[in-house]
Amino acid sequence: MLASAELLAGLGLLFIGLKLLSGHLQQAMGRRVRILLKGATRSRFIGFVSGGVTGAIIQSSNAVTLISANLVRSGALTIRDAIPVVAGANVGTSALVFVASVDVKVAVFYLVALVGLCYQFKMDRTPARREWLGVLLGLALLFLGLSFIKLAPQHISAATVAAVLGDISGPLGFLAGFVVAMVTQSASTAAILCLASIGIGAIGLVDSFYIVLGANLGSGVAALVSAGGLKGTGRQLCFVHIFVKAVGCAVVFLVWLALPLVGFDPARLLQQVGQDQPGFVISILFLVLQLTGGAAVTVFCSASEALARRLSPPTHEDHVSQPHFISDEAMADPPSALELAAREISRLIRHLPDLLPDLDQRHVDDSSHRAAQWRGGRAICDATGQFLVELIDRHLSRADLDLALLLQEQQGLIQTLQDTLKDFADLIDRYAEPPPLAFNLCESLRTIVFELAETQRSGLEDLELLIALTADRSATLDKIRRSLTGASLGSGEEARTLLSSLSLFERSVWLSHRLAMTLRPGANEANADATPRTLNRD
Amino acid sequence: MQIDREQAGLDVVLKVTGRLDTPNAKPFESSLLEAVSGSEGTITVDLAGVDYVSSSGLRALLVAGKAMRTAKRELVLRSLQPQIREVFDISGFSTLFEIK
Repeated sequence: MLASAELLAGLGLLFIGLKLLSGHLQQAMGRRVRILLKGATRSRFIGFVSGGVTGAIIQSSNAVTLISANLVRSGALTIRDAIPVVAGANVGTSALVFVASVDVKVAVFYLVALVGLCYQFKMDRTPARREWLGVLLGLALLFLGLSFIKLAPQHISAATVAAVLGDISGPLGFLAGFVVAMVTQSASTAAILCLASIGIGAIGLVDSFYIVLGANLGSGVAALVSAGGLKGTGRQLCFVHIFVKAVGCAVVFLVWLALPLVGFDPARLLQQVGQDQPGFVISILFLVLQLTGGAAVTVFCSASEALARRLSPPTHEDHVSQPHFISDEAMADPPSALELAAREISRLIRHLPDLLPDLDQRHVDDSSHRAAQWRGGRAICDATGQFLVELIDRHLSRADLDLALLLQEQQGLIQTLQDTLKDFADLIDRYAEPPPLAFNLCESLRTIVFELAETQRSGLEDLELLIALTADRSATLDKIRRSLTGASLGSGEEARTLLSSLSLFERSVWLSHRLAMTLRPGANEANADATPRTLNRD
Repeated sequence: MQIDREQAGLDVVLKVTGRLDTPNAKPFESSLLEAVSGSEGTITVDLAGVDYVSSSGLRALLVAGKAMRTAKRELVLRSLQPQIREVFDISGFSTLFEIK
């Protein structure tokens, strides 16, 4: 009873520790993780090493795959660049199995003491320190979990464990490892459980061989299952993840089968090697699985890419998520980089009308297409924001800094406008037949946003016209609001939807106005709020 | 959609009947631009017979409005039905055009 509780507590602590470690490390290192992974563009080897280091630090090949997928979508990496990163990340995660094979109890005590003292003496006041303390706490819990898992079987006899596990050699062991990895979504956990069972002699090294092989493949499949929502390039990297696992298993198993042909008994060989340190042999086996799979996928990068592309072709969203102008290379020359960022922003503005429904064509359901446009536009906007932040960090000249800050303001406004237009469109989509007010709001907003997009192709005249078109209309909208609250509109839900649409419309117009003001020539020098001109009155 | 053109000296009146939607927006815009280039005075668009204006129709009017602005002349809208007036108020067109 105590043993099973200890084992479950150990697993719980291990999972909490991994979650804390991965989450806080990504927050603490943030851009540095991205910079480390971006090194993959230099060569496959550097990509493999970057992935390995990141995987060893974060202890989650899934997290590294996800970050790489985001870098691919933002155009910072190609799929070909990301393949060695994902392969290397798998190798990096084997560090945990090595840690589990040694006694970390003393390290746990010191870590817990350190974290506790830091909290007690309020050393967690800055956000950065809080994140790093979270990392240490995650590490401490992870190590504590490992100790619990290793200790648990010692409270029961090897015979009892063996009776519970039954005969799990060969295919059954493979299946058991596969299932454990699918459930825990981690090959390392299954390997660590193996280490604990070997420690008390409940299972042998040969049984462990099959369990670890099954767990290795299971974790790859688990990653694909848990990434069910991912499509296109994101899913391609999940397939790369499976390739690493599957190729590793296939190569190691083939060697296992081939050894008797050259006069070796693989089972006896394994037992001889692991006589003194069976745990260490399991760690080595785990590492070899990742290394062989990772190396094969990295060497045959083109074939892996082609197969992954075939299994998950790029989607429309992948296409619209790619920045067209900004790139890391451009950072070297800040004036050119700013010019490229301005072009990217201009392109984002030109695509804003794609976020709104066309009520003239209401029989055509384009909501999924618009959702993809929004996610893609959002990804480019985020990448542009990141690009500007990194550029501003490079000690720009006064003029360049002014322009960078202006572009940053525009990027922020576009991001908010994208979200507001999407929320507005979602409300309009609720109607099978929009009521007259919803129709008028939607068509008015489309006109304004089209005019905003048009300013990127035409001249200053159109910009001034847009500023006039988006001028304050709170009196008109308040009148409509009052009439709405006073009128009987059937269900309260309908009135609430119309009021929400009205608020989102007002916000969109205000954001368009603010954006138009920043687009005026010289807006970064003087943010003068000039009187809007009209078509007939100037 | 039907557009009737009346010439009154230098001025032109365009009487529109039907829907100003995507299919009709281009012909409507062409008629407006034709009137801009073929006259020298004010252009009045009578919308009494229009019961539906979408963003395409609004944009056609905006294109004509810009052309008139370049020519330093006035584009006037008149006889808007209440629901059409609402879309002009909401979109901000009421502040750009003279509406009678």
